[in-house]
Amino acid sequence: MDSIAELRASLGRAMDGGDPTMSPADRLCFACVDLFDVDGAAISLMLEGSSQGTFGSSDGLSRQLDEFQFTFGEGPCMDAVRDGPVFAANIADGAETRWPAFVGSASALGVGAVFALPISLANSFVGALDLYRHAPGPLLGNSLVGGLMVAELAALPLLDMISAQAELATSGQDEPAWKQLKSLARVEVYQATGMVMVQLGVGPAEALARLRAHAFAQGLTASQVAWSIVERELSLEADTERTDPGQGHP
Amino acid sequence: MSTEREHEITRAFVSIANSMADGADVVDLLSGLTSDCARLLDIASAGLLLADAQGVLHVLAASSERTRDLEIFQLQRDEGPCLDCFHSGQQVSVDDLSQETDRWPQFVAAATAAGFAAVHALPMRLRGTTLGALNLFSDKVGALEADDRDLAQALAHVASIALVTDKAASDKDTINQQLQTALSSRVTIEQAKGVLAQVGGLDMDQAFAALRRYARDHNARLSDVAQQLVTRKIAGQELLDHSMTGLA
Repeated sequence: MDSIAELRASLGRAMDGGDPTMSPADRLCFACVDLFDVDGAAISLMLEGSSQGTFGSSDGLSRQLDEFQFTFGEGPCMDAVRDGPVFAANIADGAETRWPAFVGSASALGVGAVFALPISLANSFVGALDLYRHAPGPLLGNSLVGGLMVAELAALPLLDMISAQAELATSGQDEPAWKQLKSLARVEVYQATGMVMVQLGVGPAEALARLRAHAFAQGLTASQVAWSIVERELSLEADTERTDPGQGHP
Repeated sequence: MSTEREHEITRAFVSIANSMADGADVVDLLSGLTSDCARLLDIASAGLLLADAQGVLHVLAASSERTRDLEIFQLQRDEGPCLDCFHSGQQVSVDDLSQETDRWPQFVAAATAAGFAAVHALPMRLRGTTLGALNLFSDKVGALEADDRDLAQALAHVASIALVTDKAASDKDTINQQLQTALSSRVTIEQAKGVLAQVGGLDMDQAFAALRRYARDHNARLSDVAQQLVTRKIAGQELLDHSMTGLA
């Protein structure tokens, strides 16, 4: 296929543009099926003490594979969040012994290969991009490189999900996805994330989500909000943005 | 070169070599190296910028941990001598920053506002690849003397070697992974500084000093302590109590 830069650009476009009736996470999953050597994709969130579940998928089977993992409490996406990328190129031949219950159910549905790439938020793994294929075989070339890019982009819808600010977040999303990600990779944002962790008593991913949601709500950039926090002009302790219990997690 | 200074230079290199032999934390080691640079070269501020797999520059270590100081380095992911140095693989020296407003409008404005008058960027190279740049800021207009330039370049080389310590790491993927690990531990350290700053009402320099002190006193790696703090396996207050006890 194309160069790596073109792959980056087309994945960015899939998330920024694309079908407005689909969620960005769903659009990313469909892009995986379109562009990579896989038959299905799903994005799941596994934040400790918070929401867990599948919140993007390309089809019913990939959603079901994700649900198996939550049901059985084992599977590639759990391992990816704990240890890093998981590549199970052939689950049909009995060689895959890590997840007996999951493999049994997945094989019965005709799945031959599963892969899970961790999604990192504020420098910690909080979710995974799960890919499957009917035919066994490794994930190679652009499918692998592109899969890692999708796992990067998936951080943004994940942040929206955690902050439960889906509506506000969408209104702030006039910036392209790659640019948004870059704008979060800044010294002041890292430091402010640490400060917000203490202010709210939450982990890094949720602290970053709250910082970003605050920025969207105020019409500011994440960097501006981070500076106010670092300069101690703003504390998120008294923040009462999360008052909409109606917008629950899946 | 004065004997006293030669002595100091020797001490700096010996200390770096020992840290590497001991398998010291790379961010910790390079923070020390940038502080050595600032002192030995009599310059105001020194920092190391490292490129990620996409070629975006990130601050890896600096002689000051203050947010504003780190930002001057960070700005150069978009424009500035470090970016030019990284792209060309060549040294970039600007003896008088005020002459370069057209070349780097945002960078020059921020750097002069911070009180800097001259800036130098030296490539960090490893086997033909440029990994990043060593960045030196002076508050006086003027060139780096030849001796100083050689010393700075030597320190930049040492930094590259320290970053890629695995002798077997000849393939590009392994090297990229080591660089990514270093950048990732820097992110955790910034988060940990934020935690300590909030818990103890400290500035970022003090927060870093407390983190470093705790790591040394427990014979632990800086990035491991930062990770334990961020994942709340060590409480911020506990770490600060230790630092205060030590100081009393």
